[in-house]
Amino acid sequence: MRALPGRQSRSSSDAPPASVTRTSAHADQRRRILRAVGELVGERGYGDVTVELIVKRARVSFKTFYKHFPDREACLLALCEIAFDSSERKIRERLDAEPGPWPEQVALALRTLIELIVVEPVLARAVIVESPTAGPAITARYEQATKALVPLLREGRAFNPRGAELPETLEDTLAGAIFWSAYQRLMVGEAEQLPASVPVLVELVLRSYIGPAEASRIARAEAPDLQPALA
Amino acid sequence: MPEAELGPLPGGHHGLSREQIADSQRERLLAAIAQEVAARGYRTTTISEIVKVASVSTRDFYELFDGKEECFLAAFDAVRAHLEELVSAAAAGEEDWPHRVIAALRAALGFFAAEPDLARLSLLESVSSTPAIAIRFREAVLAAVPALAEGREELADPDLLLPDTEDAILGGIVSLATRSIVAGETEELFGLLPDLVDFALSPYLGAERAAELAGAVEAGDSPSQ
Repeated sequence: MRALPGRQSRSSSDAPPASVTRTSAHADQRRRILRAVGELVGERGYGDVTVELIVKRARVSFKTFYKHFPDREACLLALCEIAFDSSERKIRERLDAEPGPWPEQVALALRTLIELIVVEPVLARAVIVESPTAGPAITARYEQATKALVPLLREGRAFNPRGAELPETLEDTLAGAIFWSAYQRLMVGEAEQLPASVPVLVELVLRSYIGPAEASRIARAEAPDLQPALA
Repeated sequence: MPEAELGPLPGGHHGLSREQIADSQRERLLAAIAQEVAARGYRTTTISEIVKVASVSTRDFYELFDGKEECFLAAFDAVRAHLEELVSAAAAGEEDWPHRVIAALRAALGFFAAEPDLARLSLLESVSSTPAIAIRFREAVLAAVPALAEGREELADPDLLLPDTEDAILGGIVSLATRSIVAGETEELFGLLPDLVDFALSPYLGAERAAELAGAVEAGDSPSQ
């Protein structure tokens, strides 16, 4: 989520270079609006955020806002799409960059997800805690995001002799447990506590597939003081 | 409930005490907010609709509650108290921990499947309404941790389950149930029972024993309790 809409662009926006093209100015406005909606919703909650507040924070006009989005819900949906897409991509890239056995890949994926949340707690709060309150389109995208881990988890069935007999809903339930943990910490403003949940989640996820002893070993290798490798 | 009679209401020939009136108004308001929130969501529910449905005056509403949030919290607490009673009663009849967990899950899923409005209110709207309500919801879920953690006595090797795992297990269960409601499959909630039994028990009893118990639930169970 770190590479999201632009802090850098905001500071440079006061004096746009003369060569700035219409397209890049347009993209820059959009980034500023998305950054503003993420900050405001994360700070105050969706219910208290108005288009007026968004345009003020983004330093764009109402007219500019409505050129980009029909309303605040569409604006938050766009932010959620970017945040989910970018997180999913970063997790995939990380797994590709550090190939390894499946259990370690699961641990790496969970650690990366939590790191992405911890480096952007306000934005993560907007996306993970507040967005489900903002309407059916966002709820649907959210639902899709929670399922992003399911295929990776399902691969674990190959390691379990009774893999095929495991409950059909197992991966969904595990993914729910992961999101629940993130949601709960973000809701009470304790994002910094989240890395401590990584070993718990790794162990809970892995034991269904590779048994408690192996799961426990790999979970304990997850140091509680995680380095923010993506910062 | 306070015992003291305040005497009949002014002009009252109904013989009801002030408290009895307030209680019945309160109950009607709780039922009304549950119905309205389930139908249109917390955000778009207004006090004027709640009082209309409950046939209570706006003034009497504010005698009882500070506002919509407090009214919702009272409804949530009432549902929670009722559900906890059902769950404890169901679990009390079982002699070992695994069967207490199964009975508790069965009672909770059965309740929500039979009461789709209350399922929506408790599991969906409570999470997405206001921070105070979301925190109350979290407390309600976490209240189940001690009963689940009793399963640690069943562990072959207690070192192989990290502390705080109960929170994640409950989170998984709640998430799956919530997802069914989002998908409009509230009446099918009960069908999740075997999978959730497996999910809740396997960290403590091991995969095989959990699967056995889940299988027995699947084979022997009907939604009628």
